[in-house]
Amino acid sequence: MLNNLIGLTVNGLAMGVVYALIAMGLILLVRAVGVMNFAQGDLFMLGAYLSFTFIVNIKLPYWLFVPASLISFAIVGLIFMAVTYWPLREASYPQAVIIATMGAGYVIKELAYKIWGPVALSMPALVINPETGTTKVLEIFGIKLQWQYVMIIAVCAVLIVLVFMLFEKLYAGRMMQATAQDKYAAELIGIPSVVTIAATYMLVTMVVSIGGYMVAPVFFISATLSSLQLRAFAGVVIGGFGNLKGAIIGSLIVGLIEAYATLQWSSYKDAVVFIVLIIVLIFRPQGLFGEKIADKA
Amino acid sequence: MKNFTIKKLKIRPATIIVFVVAMAFILLMPQVNSGYKMLCLNLTLIYAMVALSISIMLGMGGQMTFAGVTMMGVGGYFTANMTSGRLGFAIPTLPALLLAPLFTALVALALGLVLLRLRGTYFTFATIGLVQVAWSFYSMNKPAFGGYDGISGVPKLDLFGFVPADYNQWFYILAGGLVIVALIIERIRKTQFGRSLAAVRDNETAALTLGINVYITKVYAFAVAGAICGFAGALYAMMNRYISADTFTFDVGVRYIIMAMLGGVNNTIGCILGAVLIGMLPEWLRVLQGYMQFIYGIGIILLMIFMPMGLSGVFLTALKRYRKKKKIKLEHRASQTAAEKGEA
Repeated sequence: MLNNLIGLTVNGLAMGVVYALIAMGLILLVRAVGVMNFAQGDLFMLGAYLSFTFIVNIKLPYWLFVPASLISFAIVGLIFMAVTYWPLREASYPQAVIIATMGAGYVIKELAYKIWGPVALSMPALVINPETGTTKVLEIFGIKLQWQYVMIIAVCAVLIVLVFMLFEKLYAGRMMQATAQDKYAAELIGIPSVVTIAATYMLVTMVVSIGGYMVAPVFFISATLSSLQLRAFAGVVIGGFGNLKGAIIGSLIVGLIEAYATLQWSSYKDAVVFIVLIIVLIFRPQGLFGEKIADKA
Repeated sequence: MKNFTIKKLKIRPATIIVFVVAMAFILLMPQVNSGYKMLCLNLTLIYAMVALSISIMLGMGGQMTFAGVTMMGVGGYFTANMTSGRLGFAIPTLPALLLAPLFTALVALALGLVLLRLRGTYFTFATIGLVQVAWSFYSMNKPAFGGYDGISGVPKLDLFGFVPADYNQWFYILAGGLVIVALIIERIRKTQFGRSLAAVRDNETAALTLGINVYITKVYAFAVAGAICGFAGALYAMMNRYISADTFTFDVGVRYIIMAMLGGVNNTIGCILGAVLIGMLPEWLRVLQGYMQFIYGIGIILLMIFMPMGLSGVFLTALKRYRKKKKIKLEHRASQTAAEKGEA
């Protein structure tokens, strides 16, 4: 029972950090350009597909795979910005940009369907057991853990810390934040808002796509991967809207709730997550870590 | 002496045009189409009702909601449970069709009382949560919703002895239903409730100072929108004769929002046009079937770039510009004649 519980906790944390990556991307975009990105899950899925191509189809060695994939993710982010944000930045109607991201979501899904086909693809795990060809199992004190989950936690945790440091501590991150808070004033003091917004988009896509690559061996790669963004939404709201730290902790909570829910109500685990979301919203609408601020849509 | 003049009933030419076009559409469509094409058209009419319900919440009230799809599910499953006899009893179809909106309105009222305590974006997120929770129950719960298999064997609507034999006959019933819904919404726009809702949308604080109960107004709007969705869901269940959870997913909910946005969210005709466009596009562009979703997505982005207020927005702006030009011309002429008079 205890072993089982620890196993579930690790699974939950692993999914939690992945949701946290998606959620961080959402928050960064909301803060930078005030856009709720409904195509985030599709970018996530695209990341998984692209890395599949690099690893399985082209068979790049790892030292080449890392830069190649990062560059391609950044390019995807740049294209995404050029299409859904740039032409709409002067739009008088804030919902227009949100709808445009929904449209972009359709395009990305269809593109993936056309390029990689309707069949779900299976990605080899990072650490492979040479005998079975599947992911290696780590055994500590009689507790069996899948290596992939451990790797997900490690890689995503490092990424989260890096992004957090970038935005809260480094000068470049402060520039991005300044642009996010007041574009006009930031331009007055000489911050090129075009560059910082583009950098934000690229960074977000990179982070999200890496998340997609990490979970790909756990699930199969298919269009359903994009539905994970809804859990990230839940994490964002539970943690406190507009708050990086809150989004990370909220996403971890969502991952854990989901994992523990499988113990009791495995077919209703989705429902459990969102019921928790609604309860949190009703009793603490600003989220667990949010400050009480006026709504800014 | 009392003044006995009757208030003149003003009918604008635009109203007549819309009426004529709508009548022509309703009468012509079943003549030229049949079978599968008619089914698509019928579904489009049902979508239009849901899009209209979103126009109440988002267009009139300014509250972005995804709940329409869930409320449609409530109405649909209610009808299916009541009429298919799977619970051990079956009520006739017409009372079920009338009870479904009522029941959905009650459900929406209860949910609205809870959810609308949240404001703006938080409310939107709560409705996303609601859609997910409801979908889980729709697809998993066997006793109430039939689980993955859904509920089949829903009887056809019996409208005082008239039972639609094929999709063409269904079309008339659905068109009638849509016209009723559209008229109700146009009526709501003119009532005190509709105006309060618009005041809430434009500025909640200002609405509050005018003595409008912001919270209750929004809750009522949610209930009315729910009733319309319930009506749409009931019609859907009876036409399709089968109902299952994959009609009520979040993705489908997004599609309804896009329909409403595409046509113009605060415009009844616009919403219907948007639904027709999104619903029928796959049918019209059969040749491009393989790339449909692709074109669809690009089309949405382009639309948002070039006409963010939707189709009706473009039309209304053009109309305004035309009127302004005309006015300037008239003023110009008036000033000219005045100048001539002055000379003379």
